[in-house]
Parts: sequence; structure tokens; C-alpha cells
Amino acid sequence: MNPWLGGAALLLVGGLGPSLWAAASGGAGRRVVAQNMATLLLCLVFLLLAQGYGRTAYVDLALVVAVLGPAGTLVFARLLLDRDSGDPPGARWLTPVVAVATPATVIPLCIVTGPGRATVKLVVIGLLLLAGGVATTRAVRRG
Amino acid sequence: MADVLVVLALMFVAAAATAAVLNRDPARQAVVLSLLGLGLAVAFTVLQAPDVGLSQLGVGSALTPLMILLTVRKVRKGKGRGRE
Amino acid sequence: MSRRVRMGVLAAGLLATAALFVTAFLDMPHFGGAWHPYGDRAVQASVNRRTANTVSAVNFDQRGFDTLGEESILFASVLGTVVLLRQARDERTRAPRPGPVPAALRRYGLVALPATLLIGLYVIAHGQLSPGGGFQGGVVVATALHLLYIAVDYPALERIRPLGLYEVGDAVGEAAYVVLGVAGLLAGSAYLANVLPFGTFNTLSSGGTVPLLNAAVGLEVASAVVVLLARFLVQALEIEGGDGGKEQAA
Repeated sequence: MNPWLGGAALLLVGGLGPSLWAAASGGAGRRVVAQNMATLLLCLVFLLLAQGYGRTAYVDLALVVAVLGPAGTLVFARLLLDRDSGDPPGARWLTPVVAVATPATVIPLCIVTGPGRATVKLVVIGLLLLAGGVATTRAVRRG
Repeated sequence: MADVLVVLALMFVAAAATAAVLNRDPARQAVVLSLLGLGLAVAFTVLQAPDVGLSQLGVGSALTPLMILLTVRKVRKGKGRGRE
Repeated sequence: MSRRVRMGVLAAGLLATAALFVTAFLDMPHFGGAWHPYGDRAVQASVNRRTANTVSAVNFDQRGFDTLGEESILFASVLGTVVLLRQARDERTRAPRPGPVPAALRRYGLVALPATLLIGLYVIAHGQLSPGGGFQGGVVVATALHLLYIAVDYPALERIRPLGLYEVGDAVGEAAYVVLGVAGLLAGSAYLANVLPFGTFNTLSSGGTVPLLNAAVGLEVASAVVVLLARFLVQALEIEGGDGGKEQAA
């Protein structure tokens, strides 16, 4: 049993599963918040999978999600959300979840990886994810 | 353990695909479709096909939603004028 | 044909497909088995040509001709979409109103754009080493440019997007792939043969023609997506009026 893969499975069930439920029902705002949450957690899932399988090249998937995930949420925020409809439900949880979950995943991975280029890459992904999380929250809550 | 992840990812994909079919409004369907794309990317990766997963992420996370939502906007614009 | 007959035909078709599908699966190797005759040979061939990412070796070296077909499909379908979505005679364009964008979002867009662009180029350049390559990286590059529309403003996107250049880029990317194939013929070998020196395993300059073909595909895909989305954006934001064709049909 590999704890990294276990963490990824846990995030998949406990994070992406509920996100799918929220994205498939309810109003547009709730769905976009769920989509945002799903992309941010997916990035962490890919980081854990890369470590769990022992394949550093898989980190590239997390790198791509860290920039394309927020881009996708901004597409929805721009073209789907109603500008006058106020805060969508759940939006206030986005920034706290990202601010807690990202360091909680990236810092242990950095410690295991040790100093070097791979760690710099992990830190860059973490920073991109935090910036993306804050910006998308702002976009979703602009109402 | 690795097989558990495969089963979980496939279950997520099946649930997301079903939800995408059951939602009837194309704009909201695009949100579910985007999550289906993320699930597929995980499924490809746990099946050790990260190249395919990366393609899926590239196309599914921002590009497809943008094309769908722009199309919806165009179609609704046309319909709105027709009713006036 | 009555509804009943139609349903009958559908049921027969579905049953036959299900039967064939199940029969095909009965003879499949088991999931996760250790016997991979094709995989072992593909890995051996890619290591011989010093390409660390076997998938890229298969796509751009061992089966480079198939990829030429795939690239051409994208080229042709974008061309078709451009023709379909052109401005019709009875349609007029209107400059889209700039929408209000929060300053924080604008700042994120301006930081994320170069970062995304760089990641896209990195994915294209490392296709022979790690997951990714021309297609994946090209899509990321094209998405990066559209951050200007989704996080900043549509006119900002229009300023950095001389569409004619991207149309040329699309064609040049497609042509470069075809011409690189001819280089194989000129070197006295087969079309799309890997004729360049293979380089050092697991470095950027490895894999012979694989990185060059990846660059060609990257150029084509990035340009094609930009051209494609430009048509969608013009239709959704600028063009008004003129469903004359629909009225005539009605």
C-alpha cells in the first residue's frame, strides 16, 4: 500500500466525487464553483499520482492543469455566470480549501523529493495553483 | 492498490458521462462535460497513458467549454432576435 | 417505414453489435497481463533511436505516416469550419462592447499568459522525453493566447492576433511535416524515415526527426486552434443578423 496513491484515491472520492455531484445539479453558479474546485483538486491528484507511481514525468500533467484549470473556470465565469446574481453557494470555501490543501500536498512532496530542479517545479506548480485559485474565486464571486 | 484507482477513475467517468447525458441545457452540460474530461484524464493516467491524459486535459479543460459556450451564445442571440 | 419497423431494425443492429462486442472481448488478453509483444518491440525500437518517450517514438517515428494523416484531418476540418463560419452577405458586424473585468483578474491574466505560453512551448519541446508533444503543447499555447479574451478583454486579444499570420502558421506547420518526410526520401531511405543523427538518450537533442516533427505539429495545432476560435469569437461576439438562409428554407 502506497500512501501517495492512497491520498490520490481519497481526493478522488472525497473531493472530485462531491464536485461532480455539485456540477451536475443546481444553478449555474454552484456548478462553476464545483468545476473550479475539481480542477484545483485534480492538480493535487496528479502530483500524488506522479509520486505514487515514482514517475517524475507525470508531474507535467499537474503543471498543465495548474494553468488550464483556472483558464477553464474563467471561461465559465465569463460566458455562463450572470453578473447580477451575487455570490454562488460554496464560493467562499474555494480560497480556504486551496490555501490549505495545496501546501498540505506540495510541502510533503518537496521534502520527499529533496533539493533540486524537481522541487522547484513542484513549488512553481503550487504557486500557480494558489494564484489560479485566488483569481478564479475573484472571478466567480464578482457578482 | 493501483487497481483500486483504476476502478475509482472508471466509476467517476461513468457517473460523469451519465450526468452529462441527463443534463439537457447545453451551457450547463458544458460544465459536466468539463468534469468528464478531468475524470478521463485521471483514468488515462492511472492506466499509465499520460500522453493521452495530457491531450484530454488540453482539449477538455478550456478549449471545448469555450467553443460550446460561444456557440450557445450565438444560437441564443439569433433566437432572441427571432422572437422580437 | 413505420415506427415499429424502425425500432425493430434498431434492436437488430444493437443486438448484433452487442454480440460482436462480447465475442471480441472473449479473446482479449487479460487486464494487466505481462505479455506485451507489440509494446516490448516498440520500446526496444524507441530505445534504439534514443527516444525516451516511447509514445512519441511510435507517433512520430515508427508510425509517422499515421500522424501525418491525423494532422491533415485537423488541418482540413479547421479549413472547413473557417469556410462554414465566414460572414454571409446579409450579415453585418458590430464592434463588441468591452465588458468590465476586475483588476485582480486582469493582473492574473497578464501573469498567467506568459506562464501558460512557456508551459506550452516546454511541452512541445520535451515531446521526445516526457508525456506531451506537438499536439498537447500546441493546444496549451493557443489557450494561453485566449487568456487575453477570458481574463482581460476581446479587443486585447485582437491586438496580439494578426490572424493572417496564424493562417500562414497553420499551413507552414502542415507543409513542414510533409517536407520533413521528403527529407527521408532524399537521404535515400523511406518517406518519413528517421534520417537525422539520434543524439544522446534523454537529452533535448535526441530522437532524430522526432523533435522536428513535434515542432511542426505544435506550430500547426497552435495556429489551427487560434484560427478556429477566431471564427467562433467573431460569430458569437461580432456578427449580427442574417439568418436569411434559414428563412428561405422555412
